[in-house]
Amino acid sequence: MTGSRIVAIMGKDFREFTRNRFFVFITLLVLVAYVAVFWFLPDSVDETVHIGVSNSVLSTDVGGVTESGTAGFALEIYSSEEELKTAVEEGQNDIVAGIAFPPDFLESAAAGETPTVRLLVPAGLPAEIQLLLEGAVSEIAFGFAGTPPPVDPITEAVVLGVDRAGNQISLQQQMRPLILILVLMVETFALSSLVAIEVQQRTAVAVLATPVRVVDFLAAKGIFGVGLALSEVVLLGLLIGAFAVNAPAVLMILLLGAVLVTGFGMIAGSYGRDFMGTLLVAMLFMIPLMIPAFGALFPGSSPTWVKALPTYGLVQAIIRVTVDGDSWSQIAPSLLLLAMWGVAAFIVGAFILRRRVATL
Amino acid sequence: MNIQRSWYVLSRELKLSPRSPLVFFAIAMPLLITFLVSSVFGSLFDVSPKLAIVDLGDSQITAAATQLDGVETAIVSDAETLRQRVEAHDFDAGLVLPPGFDAAIAAGERPDLEFYVSGESLASTRIILAVTTVDLVRGIEGSEPPVTVVVTRVGDEDFVPISDRLLPTMVIYAVMVAAIFLPAASLVDEREKRTLDAVLVTPTRMSDVLVGKGTFAVVLAVILGFVTLALNGALAGQPGTMALILFIGSVMLMLMGLALGLWARDITTMYTAIKGGGIIIFLPVIFTLFPGLPQWIPKLVPTYYFLQPIYDIAVRGQSLGDVVPELLIAAAVCVALVPLVGWVARRSEHQLAMTV
Repeated sequence: MTGSRIVAIMGKDFREFTRNRFFVFITLLVLVAYVAVFWFLPDSVDETVHIGVSNSVLSTDVGGVTESGTAGFALEIYSSEEELKTAVEEGQNDIVAGIAFPPDFLESAAAGETPTVRLLVPAGLPAEIQLLLEGAVSEIAFGFAGTPPPVDPITEAVVLGVDRAGNQISLQQQMRPLILILVLMVETFALSSLVAIEVQQRTAVAVLATPVRVVDFLAAKGIFGVGLALSEVVLLGLLIGAFAVNAPAVLMILLLGAVLVTGFGMIAGSYGRDFMGTLLVAMLFMIPLMIPAFGALFPGSSPTWVKALPTYGLVQAIIRVTVDGDSWSQIAPSLLLLAMWGVAAFIVGAFILRRRVATL
Repeated sequence: MNIQRSWYVLSRELKLSPRSPLVFFAIAMPLLITFLVSSVFGSLFDVSPKLAIVDLGDSQITAAATQLDGVETAIVSDAETLRQRVEAHDFDAGLVLPPGFDAAIAAGERPDLEFYVSGESLASTRIILAVTTVDLVRGIEGSEPPVTVVVTRVGDEDFVPISDRLLPTMVIYAVMVAAIFLPAASLVDEREKRTLDAVLVTPTRMSDVLVGKGTFAVVLAVILGFVTLALNGALAGQPGTMALILFIGSVMLMLMGLALGLWARDITTMYTAIKGGGIIIFLPVIFTLFPGLPQWIPKLVPTYYFLQPIYDIAVRGQSLGDVVPELLIAAAVCVALVPLVGWVARRSEHQLAMTV
């Protein structure tokens, strides 16, 4: 293997990549679009349900609910039902629904009567919010009637895991690793296109007719692929603040991710007969590889089959560093899994490309 | 233009299509997008609190909880599994009901409650599940609430749930891949492989080729759009009207696809143009998803005039008569695109003649 030959092939690939200015322009435009979308995403989580109340009866603490609300439940007081109705219709002060107590609620409750409370509910209100309102009104009435709840899940609850109440992960934080991984996946296609063109136009044969050996050719493709994917994703990472926590670990994860996608890029490029064929083969790889990244948007543990996908370690490692702030030792298992998949994909990719080149 | 020669071109497209990865791509993508959008993204935007229950005493609470509207309830076999899954945030909260729980409540006792909350669940979700749990236990207690709750609907009666607002996204994917991507890629591919040169030295003219390829794209796009609507239960009992709208929309996109295929130097340029210009085609979809955005903006984009009628019929229950103005504009766009395609075709033919 000779360094100068590898550098020469990489130089050729770079010129090939940048020759189409329109392609480069759109690639940069898409990068800018990713950054713009990222910074437009909400950077905080409002985990409070805002409820409007008219003719408030909550001047005293009733069952843990007061005029100032409680954790996850904030109240906005209005002087009349008409004002409350307008506020619900217009969504003033973020209120999602209203509770209109009748003016004689206290007297009726004290007299042992059954007063009627009106819930003002906008179209499309989630059913669980309506459950909350109905339950809360019942508990307030029970409170006035002097009947405490038989159980108290609010104060007796045991919190399992890291308690993120008041410190939830925002959509922006959740999307940061996803955007990085999406760009890495797209690079699978970029590299596969370069390899496919080399195979289809038989320029690989021309290159190998020179003193360049197959091993030089494969090394150049591998290094160029890793470099291309890594440079793009590092640039994006810098623009969306991905290196704010444990930058060396993030860089290592992205490097291993670039190795992984380069392996798949070489496989897709070797099998693609033309542009559309290459696109199809690359998509066949990209779609399953993206599943762990999309799965990370949902709460809960991933199904076993998702854990078996090559990008699972990549997604886990990057989330645990950028979102949870985990250390090297904590991400070591994910990193090891990613490294194993990366090396395996790279070796298989290089082997398939070598065989493909040999048949030309 | 010669109908018979156009038919030959169409027959060739039909014969080659089973071997074409692009046709496979065009057919598979709408199905995949329908699956992703309806099952994955639908639930992403519309998440209900999840409650797990371990019932060690055949409690009535379990049956009542599974009937709740707005809370997803699951039964778990043992307390240890429940704790693990709540900690992993598979569930927002978990409730362990010991043997004799119902009897203790009915007897007026206050038994200890094993109620677990996931650290990652939102404060609002925690309070919803806590209040719901109290309500369920009150049901066992047998005490009637000393209040009557009346629910009054206020505000916008035209509210459309997010799952319905995603419909145009699925339709545009189905139609776009077949109507734009297919004829554009086919033309560029034929030019790159020079098979178009070979066809044009026969009596077949460029217009025959365009009509043949365009017809294939429109037929496939209408079928895929129709299947997508059917899969999502969005034909609204008006299949004929939907087919007509899909036809007009497919013709519009097909003409754009032909112009693109004739203009693009190579397949990379074509792909990149779609990647960059796709945002304009998709713009109406974004405004349907977020109705709070100014709704005059998508009216500047031609695709609005066939996506909006589909949305209005499928979601708002309108009929063909209600959407005629939009459809007339869509048809006018199609007519306006014909001379553009003709001009690009003549330019392309001229370039081909120079290179032969």
